[in-house]
Amino acid sequence: MSVSSVPFRRRPRRLVPVTIGAASILLLAACGGGSISEGNGGEESEGPVKIGLSVPLSGVYAALGEDMTQGFELYLDENDGQLGGRDIEVVKADEGESPQTGVPATSKLVTQNDVSAVVGIVNSATALGLKDTFVQSEVPLIIANAGADELTDDASPYIWRTSFTNGQVGAALGAAVAEELGDKEVFLMAADYAAGHESVDGFRETFTEAGGSIAGEAFTPFGTTSDWQPFLSKVRSSGAGAVYVFYAGAEAVNFVKQYDSFGIGDSAQLYGAGFLTEGGVLEAQGAAAEGVRTSLHYSHLLDTDRNAEFVEAYQAAYDEVPTVYAVQAYDAAAALDLALEDAESTDGAGIADALANVGDIDSPRGTWSFDEDHNPDQPYYLREVQKADGGLANVVLEELTQ
Amino acid sequence: MLSWLDANALSMLNGVALAAVLFLIAVGLSLVFGTMDVLNLAHGAVSLTGAYIGVAFLERDTTIPLFVTAVLAAAAFGMVAGVVLAAMTSSVGDHLRQALLTLGVALIAGDVLREIFGADVESVSAPASLAGAVSVFGRPYPLYRLVIIGISAAIAVVLYIVLERTRVGALVRATVADRAMVEAIGVRTNLVLGGVFGAGAALAAIGGLLAAPILGAQPGLDDTVLLLALVVVVVGGLGSLRGALVGALLVGQVQTLGVALASEYASFLLFAAMAIVLLTRPRGLLPAKTGAHG
Amino acid sequence: MMRSKAQPRPSAADRTGASASTGGGRRHLPRPVLVSRVALGLALLVLAALPLFLAPYPIGLAGRILAFALLVVSVDLLTGVTGMPTLGQVAYFGTGAYAAGLVGIHMDSSAVLQLLVGSAAAALLALLTGAVAVRTSGIVFLMVTLAIGELVHRFADSFAPVGASNGLAGIPPISILPGGEPLELAGFIYWWVLAVFLLGMAVATLVVKSPLGRSMRGVRDGEKRLHALGQQTYPVKLAAYTIAGGLAGAAGTAWVAQTRFFSPGDLGFDVAAFALLSVVLGGAGTLWGPVIGAFVVILVRDWLSAYVDGRGALMLGVLFVVAVYTLPRGIAGARWRKPLRRPRRTSP
Repeated sequence: MSVSSVPFRRRPRRLVPVTIGAASILLLAACGGGSISEGNGGEESEGPVKIGLSVPLSGVYAALGEDMTQGFELYLDENDGQLGGRDIEVVKADEGESPQTGVPATSKLVTQNDVSAVVGIVNSATALGLKDTFVQSEVPLIIANAGADELTDDASPYIWRTSFTNGQVGAALGAAVAEELGDKEVFLMAADYAAGHESVDGFRETFTEAGGSIAGEAFTPFGTTSDWQPFLSKVRSSGAGAVYVFYAGAEAVNFVKQYDSFGIGDSAQLYGAGFLTEGGVLEAQGAAAEGVRTSLHYSHLLDTDRNAEFVEAYQAAYDEVPTVYAVQAYDAAAALDLALEDAESTDGAGIADALANVGDIDSPRGTWSFDEDHNPDQPYYLREVQKADGGLANVVLEELTQ
Repeated sequence: MLSWLDANALSMLNGVALAAVLFLIAVGLSLVFGTMDVLNLAHGAVSLTGAYIGVAFLERDTTIPLFVTAVLAAAAFGMVAGVVLAAMTSSVGDHLRQALLTLGVALIAGDVLREIFGADVESVSAPASLAGAVSVFGRPYPLYRLVIIGISAAIAVVLYIVLERTRVGALVRATVADRAMVEAIGVRTNLVLGGVFGAGAALAAIGGLLAAPILGAQPGLDDTVLLLALVVVVVGGLGSLRGALVGALLVGQVQTLGVALASEYASFLLFAAMAIVLLTRPRGLLPAKTGAHG
Repeated sequence: MMRSKAQPRPSAADRTGASASTGGGRRHLPRPVLVSRVALGLALLVLAALPLFLAPYPIGLAGRILAFALLVVSVDLLTGVTGMPTLGQVAYFGTGAYAAGLVGIHMDSSAVLQLLVGSAAAALLALLTGAVAVRTSGIVFLMVTLAIGELVHRFADSFAPVGASNGLAGIPPISILPGGEPLELAGFIYWWVLAVFLLGMAVATLVVKSPLGRSMRGVRDGEKRLHALGQQTYPVKLAAYTIAGGLAGAAGTAWVAQTRFFSPGDLGFDVAAFALLSVVLGGAGTLWGPVIGAFVVILVRDWLSAYVDGRGALMLGVLFVVAVYTLPRGIAGARWRKPLRRPRRTSP
């Protein structure tokens, strides 16, 4: 045992460090104000409208944050830095990996920077931790990724979502898989956290409704599983004819590669929520991902004029193809654009009111609108990983009926 | 019994493959602690850098010569990083300040790696000729994992021979036991210790690279690897080669066979197993004989 | 950096303070006592006055720093005072926070009640887990406490009544007493957090000055010697562990009173590591040093990082490395006036 043995001192006898500490605290006072009287964030002001952009710039979700920033900024660039005809000032915050950093960083946008609305948030727990702050400050939060079902449970006028709910993405796939499999059974597998469970539950509901049957299920420790062999053995011994999974990020890469290298794919078709093969993840999976089928509300190969135009602009600006995460943030900017056009005031409450009336949004993903819970009412697509323009990509097979 | 074996044999074999990687990464951490009494929390970052070196060298098609080159590059990098860390920690005596210093280095390294390689998950493919599957117990099993077991076993044997049977090994062991005496016979112990640190870090970088086709490379992997290596090292017994091996084998089995048998409790198994081992055998399963600490 | 800054203006406080660090701590030095009282009073005054001039965001930051600082003090009681380095205090921090949150949601929004329940639950868990953990020491103890922290983390991650991985949300704003007016304004909540912090500091100070505190330092400075003298160290270590657990629980209740949300990410390995490193950074063994350490760590991570998009970790890393070489005894051990005894060749 050789841990530090600094002698214990009984009293803080030194004035100097305390004074320095006190002085540095007082420096913070430069921010000014006082915090024992009422005051709302998102106040109406003369200059440009301040919009917060809170996405992960560090930690394991940083890649998503980068895509979202690019999508959001592309929309602004296409509109000369304006939304709804008003100049926009973007204030950025680093959401980080967990609520521990994400909640304070995003709250700062509302309580300190006085933004009129915030776009972003990848982590569902962070979004849940922020919900009360936004509702109380009467500033709208436009969630551009986090998929927790319960975020929009009570349809608060200040919580909006341009992405998806975990349940929806899974549910979109259920009927199609049931039809395709006939009497073969499906094994369900997901990361053992809220998103994984919600996704699997959504799939299970529509799948069994359409007459499908389940061979078994397994939930793998979230964020710490690196070896899926024990779980893949279960799949094999269950005799399942297909597997439905929910994984994202590094877990998606490792899972898909191991699924392939243990040869499970020969006997069981792999299905999943689209994050399984989206963006940089697909590139890292390489050939192992070929043939994987997923449901999602976007693919850059979606064959519409609106999307072609978007993909071209995105590639010109960033030299890479857009991901669903970029589109979600792009559409958040689009929703704000429409809302600000009609908003009676540019404070939080004014924008929130206007968001309720934006109607249809003409998006690269297809036309969509906010439903009564403020989630997107949008098309979902069945995609398959195939060789396309020199690499692998998610080719759209059909639009899924719900 | 036979059917149980049939169902789980693959998990057990796979546990050995995982142990092979863990051993390579953890043995350096253990030796550095044993010889230099340094708690190196930058070990995970060194290992992740090894993985990223793989990313840099092996874009898509991986040939065996290229793979070997990448391994050598990772080893060279690790050696340098280890010597630098040895110099940085040499004046820092107690474990907690070493932790502060090396975790600081790890945070900086993580940021630099993200700056160079981006935040996306990167992947390394195994050499094409080793990428397929072979039939083991009548089931397909990735050949590459068997290769890792072979490489790791070979390195373990070499390490054992060097440490136990050669003059260099004797010098290292003597330095651990009585540094002043070794200095007295005219050996510069700093060189010995720097060499051990360098070799340990080189093994970590090689381990990270060899594991890259399985684990990939992305921000945050350094923490995961560091925690696993720490568990391996304390479970096996600090500062001993055989301890690291036993620890790695145990952790490997817990993570595969254990997970297969009790998958509902999968997320608790690793740390529960570690707690049980440490509470019953506080010095680990096979602690170093030269007990400079305990 | 700090050394050169403090070069001018030597004061009586410094001179006596520097020499007193080796003293036996008898009560016959009225002057430094007076000075320390003045310093303490000044610090309290500043802390109490903050809500009058700080806006809601910085006051929230200040409150989070205080709650985290109390967690760090609990780590210091074990690490610095008793010589048992720990990564497990997040387990009790989380227990206190979740208990307070559950009380708030299902029973009553009284902060006093939440504080009592939260610290009691945390102390109880610390007693039960400490009963086995304190049988070990040194790096093994560190790893056992890491295991405790991680096990509680993973349990919270999958335990539905506390919201599992999504976290515990919907905690109503606190009131001070049962049935009281809910505190909505950041400044008032901060005052409650400050009260909890001061209460916790008072408990920690009393413990350190008590006979138990003397035994704790005895364990740190030579457990074997105490054994040889026939003293039982197990009860001392377990008592210290339980008290530290209760303090960490109190810190958890203060944290959740502010954020009104708690998720498994709040008791992860990084929080445990930062809490331990704050102790080392501040100066293990003193109580106020780690408080400053906590202040610096949170300020860099949450406030400064907002100005350097996504570079919070890098800044912390640089801070840690620089601190190891410039402040060998932590912030508390820094010499604020004179240069170090042995001037180094390296740093300018």
